[in-house]
Formats: sequence, structure tokens, C-alpha cells
Amino acid sequence: MDEELRSGDAAQALADIQRRQQQVIDQATVPVWYWWTVGALMVVLALGVDIRTSASIGAAVPVFTVGLLSATAVAVRGQFSQARLRNGLLDGSGVAAILGFVALIVGGTLGIAFALRAAGIHYPATLACLAGGIAMGLGGPVLMRTLRRIMLGNRAGSRR
Amino acid sequence: MTAARFDDLIHPPTRLAIVSLLAASQWADFKFIRDSVGLSDSALSKQLATLEQARYVEIRKGFVGKRPRTSARLTPAGRTAFEQHVAALQDMVARSGVTIVPR
Repeated sequence: MDEELRSGDAAQALADIQRRQQQVIDQATVPVWYWWTVGALMVVLALGVDIRTSASIGAAVPVFTVGLLSATAVAVRGQFSQARLRNGLLDGSGVAAILGFVALIVGGTLGIAFALRAAGIHYPATLACLAGGIAMGLGGPVLMRTLRRIMLGNRAGSRR
Repeated sequence: MTAARFDDLIHPPTRLAIVSLLAASQWADFKFIRDSVGLSDSALSKQLATLEQARYVEIRKGFVGKRPRTSARLTPAGRTAFEQHVAALQDMVARSGVTIVPR
């Protein structure tokens, strides 16, 4: 390059680089509707179990399974049809955030269910999954924002 | 710390946009790159061919069902060149106010 490149041009180039990398990260973000869908499916499954008839379980399990697989397929479609994120973007802290979120939802839901059952309340699994589903709907987007921040921090040029 | 090296091949805005997208990806679909950067098929093909000649990019052609699909990824050499270029840009910004003549 023969012409002089000033710091302002370099800053503009760096901003463009960041914007492009954000595009890749954003297309891989799990949408908000996914978390609420999974939460609702959890409630359906728990209700089927709480009713305790073979018909209710027989209906709830397929709805949960098909619903979860379909929702997941739609939510991650971009990862397979557009661009797959580079592995290095999500480091140990990202994995810890995901595992912590799962542990919180599963542990919290089970804890509430056992506590309600011990207290003799009807439909303990359903009520617990309702709480877990709401936590998932509210917490899922927070997890996504956390992972996005981690990935943006790990992209090229963010650590110098 | 990554060594700083300004890369004339990567720096033009269109190629910088393409390489930046690829730097965050394991691989990216041709259509995704085209739509993200706002290029025609032929213009993107030309830019990718230039990057491929420099061995910065690897082009992969395959089929999904009966549909042809082209995807691209940065090679290790391309990733290194990109990181060095980003480091060079950051050095320029760090010396704010100073005119820099890249090699």
C-alpha cells in the first residue's frame, strides 16, 4: 500500500472487523422464543407425569420429544446453514456459564418439586416445572448475552 | 502477543470484511458471506479466489441433498495473517495522531 494510512483509518478498519465478527456470533445466538418453548414443554411433560395415567404420559412424552427436537432444529439451523462458530470463541468460562445455568434450572426444579411433594401439594412436578420454565425463559436470554460477551472478548484482536 | 504485520492483501474493505467473517467461523456458507458483505456472486467468487491464491482461504464445494453448497474457511496461514494485520491496526491506533506508512 503506497498511500499513508492514518490512525483514524485503522480505527475504522478495526470497527468494521468487530462488526463483521459480531454478525457471525449473532447469527449463532439461540433465540428468545426457544427458551420459553422448552420451558412450556417441560410443563407439558410434568403435567403428563403428575396426572399419572398411561394416556397422559403417552401423550406428554411424544409432545415433549417432538417439540424439543423440532425447536432445537429450528434454533440451531443457522449454525449449519450459514456459519459455524470457531471453537476458540467459547472458552472455559463460557462452558462454566452453560453448566451453571443447566445445574441451576435442573437443581432448582427438582428441589422445588421434592419440597412441594413433601408438603403434600398436588401436581408438584408441574408447579416445579412451571417455575423452572419461567426461570429458563427469563434466564436463557441472560445466558446468551453472557456467552456473546465472552465470545466477543475472545475474538481476534480483542486482547492486545 | 501476536506480532504486528500490515497485510496489503487483507486490508481492502471488501476482503477485510470477508476475512473478518471467516475469522469468527470454523467455516461459512458462500451465501452467508455474500449476503453479509453485500456482494454479487461473481464479485465474491473473485475475492475468494484472490484469497485462495494467497493460501489464506480454503474453498469447499459439496452437496446438501441435491443442492450444491460452497463454503469457505480461513487456513491457519490466513488466520495468522489476519491476527497480525489486526495487531498492526491496533498499533496504529495506539500511536494515535501519528501518520503511519505501512510497508
